[in-house]
Amino acid sequence: MHDTVDLEDRGVPSVFVSTVEFVDGADAQATALGTVPSAVYVEHPIQDRTDDEMRAIADAAVDEVVARIVG
Amino acid sequence: MSTPASEAPEPMKPPLPDGIVAFVKRDCPTCELVAPVLAALAKEAPLTVYTQDDPAFPDGAPRVDDTDLAVSWHHGIEAVPTLLRVEDGVEVERALGWHRGEWEALTRTTDLGPGLPELRPGCGSLSVDPSRAPELAIRFSGSMLKARRVEIAALEDEQEAFFDRGWTDGLPIVPPTESRVLRMLEGTTRAPDEVVATVPPDLAPCTVEKVAINAVMAGCKPEYLPVVIAAVEAACTDAFNIHGLLATTMSAGPVIVVNGPIRNAIGMNAGKNVFGQGNRANSTIGRALQLVIRNVGGGRPGEVDRATLGNPGKVGFCFPEDEEGSPFAPLNTEFGFEAGTNTVTLFPGEGPRTIVDQIARDPDSLCHMFADALRHMLTPKMVLAFDAIVVVSPEHSRIFREAGWTRSDLVKRLHELTLMDGDDLVRGAGGIADGLPETVRGNQIPKFKPDGLRVVHAGGGAGLFSAIIPGWANGEMGSAPVCRAITP
Amino acid sequence: MTTVLLDPSNEAVPAERVRPARLTALAGKTIGLLDIRKARGDVFLDQLEAKLTERGAAVIRYAKPTFTKPAPIDLRHEIATQCDAVVEALAD
Repeated sequence: MHDTVDLEDRGVPSVFVSTVEFVDGADAQATALGTVPSAVYVEHPIQDRTDDEMRAIADAAVDEVVARIVG
Repeated sequence: MSTPASEAPEPMKPPLPDGIVAFVKRDCPTCELVAPVLAALAKEAPLTVYTQDDPAFPDGAPRVDDTDLAVSWHHGIEAVPTLLRVEDGVEVERALGWHRGEWEALTRTTDLGPGLPELRPGCGSLSVDPSRAPELAIRFSGSMLKARRVEIAALEDEQEAFFDRGWTDGLPIVPPTESRVLRMLEGTTRAPDEVVATVPPDLAPCTVEKVAINAVMAGCKPEYLPVVIAAVEAACTDAFNIHGLLATTMSAGPVIVVNGPIRNAIGMNAGKNVFGQGNRANSTIGRALQLVIRNVGGGRPGEVDRATLGNPGKVGFCFPEDEEGSPFAPLNTEFGFEAGTNTVTLFPGEGPRTIVDQIARDPDSLCHMFADALRHMLTPKMVLAFDAIVVVSPEHSRIFREAGWTRSDLVKRLHELTLMDGDDLVRGAGGIADGLPETVRGNQIPKFKPDGLRVVHAGGGAGLFSAIIPGWANGEMGSAPVCRAITP
Repeated sequence: MTTVLLDPSNEAVPAERVRPARLTALAGKTIGLLDIRKARGDVFLDQLEAKLTERGAAVIRYAKPTFTKPAPIDLRHEIATQCDAVVEALAD
């Protein structure tokens, strides 16, 4: 999240993707960094997913990711 | 994230009940001593006792818990016990400590505290305790600060936050907390919401509070604040034309010269290294002015500030005149002020140029040396366009003192010696393409306009060096020096 | 704990961090995909790359050395100069 905040400070619209487990942590970090989080949350867990499952998760997330960087 | 200033905390001054009002704390021998007196008074008159530490104290009297010190603070209670007489909601009499005579007069009773000594001083009120004062000041008077609050998040660095917002001059600042700004405001008797000036280029109104915020950031002490305020007032006059000075491609910035007893009161340095680093007042007062211009006025390098080269003094350039060692009347007398008045004089100026003269023993020879440097100031090919300040140091000023020269003697001689030969000024003369048209040939033209040369006395006691501070454009489009009284 | 500081400016502009404008369209833009190097993130980003390319974007892939620290400054500078927008993934 620090990276996307820094990249936005450099003028580049950015979005951070994490699993839903990360929601509270991401919000807290964003508040602590003094910014509005631009984050997309995907289902948890991911560590043990097959490649096909990962691709399905990506397909499900892509519209929301695009919505965060295209206004 | 920012919070509107209107969301600030505490309520207005709490009203007092009519009758006799006492402020006490248990942890005070005099308050313990008078506890029975208060209990006895309670039977005879409407009495209310505000207790600052233990709400159960004193026995036998109607008590109000003032452990948050709101009532004590708002009513300026400095000692305990304090006894007030309140009529129709207004305090009409006050007694500090125990004093039989005063208490009897105030309460219109007799025979108070038989067996007690005639008088006994009280203890300090908790509402003025130094360890509590900052917190109380913010709680109770923070609401008088109207500036927008900027909340710096936990992982944000305060310094980075201010750099990111463009509010510094490239150097770190002292973060302007409410507590620091309140303390800074104690340096002036003026109200925080009083408008001091309208600052170009944004033409934003600048209150005493905004000056105080920037003064905190610059590193000023509260006692410097009146000087900074006067400098802001002077800089924002039409005559000084700070907008023009800011927007120029030339190198100058505002230079502040301080006169009067305030120089010593706030510890300014008029001696060794007077233009240099090391003295807090010299360094921070000039910086505070520039921060106000930047932050309140919106005047920044690369934007409205288009200086090609600038000069290091644009971080801040402020110094006091050495009046005590000077053979001349103080600078501010040239502007109609009496010697000994606290003033700031604002000039447009760039970095000082040293003049070395280690041989001259008579004033005329020294003037020739100064004049040579002055004639070549900024360009040898222009006249009447720029002003200058000559800073004479003690070893040089001694020469004028011994010859009995006044300030105006010196200025007059410098004008005479800075007459330029038209033949030297024309285009092509001296191998320099720049210059004035042929029409000036055969004429003698003064380098400086009649009031374009000013003299200031400053510098360390050893060293046969003086200096010129080259100015900027004068006249309609330019800037004229402005001298302004410093008020507390 | 937040610190409260007073605003030294003329308050004509908001005091918050100003976020850059979003893109007007995806097609024709260069999107950086920054892998934070946690497991399975690469597969996720491969698929994202395919989808974004389908929608007309050019994609550049980056990876930071470790997810435990912010990306090195050279990498951030490189991304900022080469890309119109960035997606950083995938934290779990």
